[in-house]
Amino acid sequence: MKKIIYKRIIYYFIGFFILIQFSSCKGFLDKQPMDQYGEEAVWSDLAMMEHFVNNIYWNIGHSFDRPMIGVFTDESMFDPGSDGGHGNVMKSLITPSDYGVFDTWSRTQKMRWEHHYKYIRACNLFLDQVEGRTYKNEELKKRLLGEVYFLRAYHYHNLVFLYGGAPIIKKAYGLKDDFLAARNTFEECINFIVEDCNKAAELLPLKEEGSNYGRATKGAALALKTRVLLYAASDLYNSNASWTKGYANPELIGFVGDDRNTRWQAAKNAAKSVMDLELYKLHKGEPAQGDSVAQNYDEVFTLNQTSEDIFVRTFTQSNQDWTMNIGQQNLPAGYKGWANVSPINSMVDDFEMKNGEKFDWNNPEQKADPYKNREPRFYVDIFYDGAKWRQRPADVIAADPIGIIQTGKYERADGTWLGGLDALNNPVTTWNGTYTSYYLRKFQDISVNAPMVVTTIPWRFIRYAEILLSYAEACIELGEYSEGRNYINIIRKRAGLPDINASDSELRKALRHERKIELMFEDQRFFDVRRWMIAPQVITEAYGLDIKYSYGKVKPTYDIIHVQDRDWKDRFYFFPIKLDEMNKNKLLIQNPLY
Amino acid sequence: MKKNLKGNALGKTYPGAAKILLKMKLTLCVILISFLGGMASESYSQTTKLSLDLKNAKVKDALGVIENQSEFFFLYSEKLIDVNREVNIEVQGSTIEKILDKIFEGTDVNYTVKGRQIVLATPEANNKDEMSSVNQQQKKVTGKVTDQSGIPIPGAAIIVKGTTIGITSDNDGNFSLSLPSDAKVLVFSFVGMKTQEIGVEGKTTLNVKLEDETIGIEEVVAIGYGVQKKATMTGSISNLKGAELIKTPATNVSQTLSGRIPGITSMQRSGEPGADDAIIRIRGTNTLGDNNPLIVVDGVPGRSLSRIDPSSIESITVLKDASAAIYGSQAANGVILVTTKRGKPGKPEITINLNQGYNQPTRIPQMANGSEYATLLNEIDSYDGRTPRYTQEEVQRFTSGSDPWLYPNTNWFAAVLKPWSSQNNMNAQMKGGSEQINYFLSVGSKFQDGYYHNSVSNYKQYDFRSNIDAKVSENIKVSLDIYGRLGNTQAPTRGYGTIFRTATLGNPNIHAIWPNGAPGPDIIEGSNPVTISTNAAGYDNDKVYTLNSSFKIDVKIPWIKGLSLTGSANLDKSFQNRKRFETPWEVNTWDKKTYDENNIPVLNSAIVPFTDARLTQYMYDNQSLLLNSIVNYDIKLDKHGLNLMTGVESRVGKGNNFNAYRRHFVSTAIPELFAGGGQDKDNSGVSYENARLNYFGRVNYNYNEKLLFEFVWRYDGSYMFPKENRFGFFPGVSVGWRLSEENFWKENLTFIEDFKLRASYGQTGNDQIGEWQYLSSYGYSGNVYNFGLTEANKLLYEARIPNENITWEVADQANVGFESYFIDKKLYVEFDYFDYKRSNILWWRNASVPTSTGLSLPRENIGKVTNRGYDFNISYRDKIRDLGYNISFNAGYSRNEITFWDETPGSPKWQESTGKPIPTNPSDVSQDLYYVSLGVFRDQAAVDSYPHWENARPGDIIFADTNDDKVINGLDRVRNEKNNIPRFSGGLNIGLTYKQFDLSVLFQGAAGAVRYISTESGQIGNFLKDFYDNRWTSENPDASGPRAFNRDAEYWRNNRNTYFLRNSDYIRFKTMELGYSLPATFNSKLGIRGLRIYISGYNLLTFSPDMKDFDPESEQLSLSGQSQPYPAQRVINGGISLTF
Repeated sequence: MKKIIYKRIIYYFIGFFILIQFSSCKGFLDKQPMDQYGEEAVWSDLAMMEHFVNNIYWNIGHSFDRPMIGVFTDESMFDPGSDGGHGNVMKSLITPSDYGVFDTWSRTQKMRWEHHYKYIRACNLFLDQVEGRTYKNEELKKRLLGEVYFLRAYHYHNLVFLYGGAPIIKKAYGLKDDFLAARNTFEECINFIVEDCNKAAELLPLKEEGSNYGRATKGAALALKTRVLLYAASDLYNSNASWTKGYANPELIGFVGDDRNTRWQAAKNAAKSVMDLELYKLHKGEPAQGDSVAQNYDEVFTLNQTSEDIFVRTFTQSNQDWTMNIGQQNLPAGYKGWANVSPINSMVDDFEMKNGEKFDWNNPEQKADPYKNREPRFYVDIFYDGAKWRQRPADVIAADPIGIIQTGKYERADGTWLGGLDALNNPVTTWNGTYTSYYLRKFQDISVNAPMVVTTIPWRFIRYAEILLSYAEACIELGEYSEGRNYINIIRKRAGLPDINASDSELRKALRHERKIELMFEDQRFFDVRRWMIAPQVITEAYGLDIKYSYGKVKPTYDIIHVQDRDWKDRFYFFPIKLDEMNKNKLLIQNPLY
Repeated sequence: MKKNLKGNALGKTYPGAAKILLKMKLTLCVILISFLGGMASESYSQTTKLSLDLKNAKVKDALGVIENQSEFFFLYSEKLIDVNREVNIEVQGSTIEKILDKIFEGTDVNYTVKGRQIVLATPEANNKDEMSSVNQQQKKVTGKVTDQSGIPIPGAAIIVKGTTIGITSDNDGNFSLSLPSDAKVLVFSFVGMKTQEIGVEGKTTLNVKLEDETIGIEEVVAIGYGVQKKATMTGSISNLKGAELIKTPATNVSQTLSGRIPGITSMQRSGEPGADDAIIRIRGTNTLGDNNPLIVVDGVPGRSLSRIDPSSIESITVLKDASAAIYGSQAANGVILVTTKRGKPGKPEITINLNQGYNQPTRIPQMANGSEYATLLNEIDSYDGRTPRYTQEEVQRFTSGSDPWLYPNTNWFAAVLKPWSSQNNMNAQMKGGSEQINYFLSVGSKFQDGYYHNSVSNYKQYDFRSNIDAKVSENIKVSLDIYGRLGNTQAPTRGYGTIFRTATLGNPNIHAIWPNGAPGPDIIEGSNPVTISTNAAGYDNDKVYTLNSSFKIDVKIPWIKGLSLTGSANLDKSFQNRKRFETPWEVNTWDKKTYDENNIPVLNSAIVPFTDARLTQYMYDNQSLLLNSIVNYDIKLDKHGLNLMTGVESRVGKGNNFNAYRRHFVSTAIPELFAGGGQDKDNSGVSYENARLNYFGRVNYNYNEKLLFEFVWRYDGSYMFPKENRFGFFPGVSVGWRLSEENFWKENLTFIEDFKLRASYGQTGNDQIGEWQYLSSYGYSGNVYNFGLTEANKLLYEARIPNENITWEVADQANVGFESYFIDKKLYVEFDYFDYKRSNILWWRNASVPTSTGLSLPRENIGKVTNRGYDFNISYRDKIRDLGYNISFNAGYSRNEITFWDETPGSPKWQESTGKPIPTNPSDVSQDLYYVSLGVFRDQAAVDSYPHWENARPGDIIFADTNDDKVINGLDRVRNEKNNIPRFSGGLNIGLTYKQFDLSVLFQGAAGAVRYISTESGQIGNFLKDFYDNRWTSENPDASGPRAFNRDAEYWRNNRNTYFLRNSDYIRFKTMELGYSLPATFNSKLGIRGLRIYISGYNLLTFSPDMKDFDPESEQLSLSGQSQPYPAQRVINGGISLTF
């Protein structure tokens, strides 16, 4: 009996053995990834292609992403404690061999050459793949094509205004292609971007609503074109490289040849084309009787949707990247925000008085009470000592049941000093606080218990006020002063400010001032100080305030203090092309003065 | 997540094979049950069938024939038994009893069969003390045979040398033997133990300790798909007994290898319970990609080394050179083979081990105290142009204790960490067997607590193992191994990164816990390390169930001598059930000015960092099925020994995981998904599949065990590659020459008993690379983009463009070495030199492809790395009277160099990476670029006299102007050639035994690695005391360190520089164990076989001159110090081992 079993086992075993030996049957090693898709699955299916396009949207830089690029301008400074090299940027120490924070932070990484080209490739890949394919839903295909042209233009415009003329790449490279590409001239780049904007404008719908709200529209394409043409007509790109001490390739960093009026005209026309769509208007542009002008202006940023929005990105609480939680990033220390942004005096002091006068520390009355009677936008944009905000977090509420920003310090009976709840040295948290006595209020929604609750207000890439200001600027540069003035006054009206009457260079100054205030922290100033070539005048030592309440005093004293070393170098009008990239692509020419 | 799953890959099985397998299993089950039920008591004597055909043979010769034909041996006295009597025997397939009955038919000789030993005696001998009547003039020797730890060995043979007179020890290891008058030497032997010869002249008692045989050249070592005698091994293979491992009271086996095996470097980056695997490198770093060695447990890759119960490990073998080629495409980083214990014939032996230990961090940084920190803050204020925030008097108050509410002096580590945390390790094992069935059964449990006060962090493990071998017939052997484990890691929801970060930056001027006991304030995003390390923040409970099973059948083909077939099926499964329940917790803040009517500060509490509890549940189910079949042919012809082995193996893996998430729990009473709210639900899941198929073989030839030759090969196929390139061939050849076997040696160099030269060369592969590189692929990003006001839209991106030519990474490995025994085999020396070249390394061509292409490149086979070095082992063992000692020193050195990869052209020479060692992070070569610190600017004159960073001031670190262009910029950075893996590591082992005591000590050290030391100091948090003591101030301009700083604000803080880069060279008192075994006399009184008590320690002392505040094996990943490691443990342990 046993013997039979043994024999059977041996037979089974040999059978099993043979089986394994021959188990190398075909296809045994053919496995497929189950977390990725193949090329065909994506490009034969418009729904998948839409997801592909969504990713390009996601990678457009904006300043709810950390850090706001206003920290690299005269608008503010960054918390030097978690600086990561921000201070070096303010000394213009970004060099081809050391990109500092531009290599490390989420927002700044998205400004880099390589980032833009990565998503330009995505656009090109889309365009290459779509070509020659037919889809059932031609309408959707057309819309996606329009979006891709828009997105390519968007990435190129960020690239070109940071780096100057860059290689125009219109195809998706394969592994075996020749990768070397020389820089195109600035003019070629502008033309290319404008061409993409035009294509997009043709393909895109006038409006997107419902679940497509936020996708590029015809208006967005024309508005982008406006911005591009306006920037391109500006001083820096029409300076014949005079600041470069003899740069050999001025065509890379601006127009050569003098045809500036045409450029301003093109910018004006583009702005006009957006206005002519008659789809957009300033939110509460005509304040109604009894309106709080400040409240109106606050809504421009805190409402989910306004009539002013041209191209926006909305957010929800779930799945939001932590770097994009603006409540967390910017709220004062006493509200448990990270206090990343401290507006500096050169920004804060620029807010006019309510009556349109300049604010002046030398005016004793104003110095004694600097936050009184300022223009309405001041109260929307800036957290200052004494500003009213919402209820404090539960563990701080007892110390301040009302919710008044405290950035000063208070003397105790024994002569020691105690920082206010939001001061640099505050009793709530050790790890942050303002260095200037100011925080950024703009983009904070008072109805939301941030940072406990994720802030979800939309980021406005382009809003109608920008178009109006661009139109005004083009007009002024064309000498059409009254037209320009009118549009500045439209903006001022909504802001509750008296009209201006200036003309000539005064009017240009007024425009630039208006733009600085109205578009504060909307990613414009970084480019404006360059294209206007005012950086040498404005990127200078940064100052803030030291606010002290002496023992028993209700009114503080304000001392202007130095808060950050800054130094402008003209080379920083443009970003350096990285040394590595120069070395990889021998056809590249470096930007001037690097 | 996905990556973790990959190891236990799965795939489809073959229905046909599975059916047969099932049938076989059933058949076997039946057989096993019948064996276990009815045959467990059967002995060798009953199963061994002998055939004899002897005419007129002397009894002596007949017994000799039996001894030759079987494993029986006879013990008898020629004086008592007439062995020259002639007998005729003709039997076929008879049992020994029947044969003996025939041989001694009609005599008064009777016999006793004890296992393989047969004692022949006459009635008078039996009546008295066995055999004592053989010769009245004989003297008598009594004694006891034990193993090294004092456990009695029953059944040990004690034979008078040169005779067949002998006896076996009884159940308590005792023996009593009468000796002929001329007896001089007794030979003590036992299976698996080293045979000992001991002189008896003038002695009447002899207590003998037998040593494990495994020491020395007779040792048999597991190699890939087989075993080999150490004497005839030709590869560079190190072997470590399980008994050595358990001397380290660590709960993770990967930590116990350190310092014990030449050429192995291990670094324990983290000590967090359940997440404390050491990184293991065999002969350093060889590739830009994955450098982890292949771990094979009982023949199956992918099983865990870390979590196996160390007391169930028989041995660990490390294949360091081309001998690993039998594992082909996975072997390039070396192979670690773990063999678990199996049963041996004999009475059941039950061992119970109980260990109770206490652990604490090896190192925690020493931070500045309240006054020191206040001083530093004042200095920062003044450097920044602000008024210093504290008066001198206030500064003093922080340490004077005069106002503990307003001026605390908090030691954060003391507040967060317990002085000692407990750990324990218990197991019970039973082993034994008969001729048919041998078994090894083991159950165990482990516990390790986290460091935190009221910790929610701990690791628990329960496991069992059953290794059963059954001999079905003379030619068929089957084995069934089953191993199961529950590993339960519980961690805080805010991980150790946050806890140690907040504890390290903990500002001594604020409270960790308020003086009235209320939970302390919010430090960062609500995280107070004292609070979040407890269950106040919820818990993350990860249970992983593992089941490893192996069924193996071994068939000797009866009709061809030496030919056998082995087949095995190994099914491993693992399941996860993880629950992460995040709950908000309480913080309290005081505004420093509000007091109640009794003048007690009023605290305000808040619930942070969110208001609703959240639950995420994760599950996975992974499976790996490994089938193999092997043909083995062993032949010995005269002096030629030949072994041929070939086999085929397939491995398929598959698995899937999913997770689900809900928030808005109204109550935290029931942490189950159903109880969560309907809003913001989330879930996800993914699966994977993989398959490997390979053929392998070995040819082993030796001439008289003197000239040795071995060839191993593997033809490996992997799903990772495109069809055309799917298979790769990996050969390895090695040769050895035992010069000591040559006559000229034997005659002239007698003091060197054994000397072997060996050399090997082979090619192995590394397939631990990214999957699917040959496919174009699009994947979903984890982010979403919102269109509309609330709709979350998915994002699809191009993961890479395909590389259709992708193929294996290849390692060319050359090794030469020798091993030798000297001085009566007391001294052992082994030395190896290796020269490895890795080529076809899959790397991205990013560095030369302009980024303007926007390409996400696939990896291509472009990289080349060489790695050269040596390792050695010297050991000496001897005995001085009762003091036995052994001392051994092992070490390894390796230095690698990138000979080719894609490097951006045009970097300055001092920044190039080609021709230099592999960077710390090959994907970010710039991470190893450092500004070179030349010290500190003592004053303005010093600043003015040297090129410096813009706005540099006295007290700043001087950056060297490397390229002499008078400007300090990125081009002045210099590549640091050291990374985070030591180039040299070694261990010194000392073992002593004295009577009932035994002591073992291990010192271990490593050198040649660096670590960046940086803390988040400044406004945000505290400084190291060391920084305070050495900082620059205007009063102390000649300080070695820079001035007080605010976190990252200074250029020398936000740029990597060598000031903060420290050597992590260290020597540590790694382990110590002192044991005492109860004398045998007590054992028998207690009715046990052995009892040993011991104390042991781990990481007892560490000497690391350049790094005093952190464990030298730990790692800091961020420049600013935002992540601080969970330090490794120092353990003090006491244990008891009881054997029945």
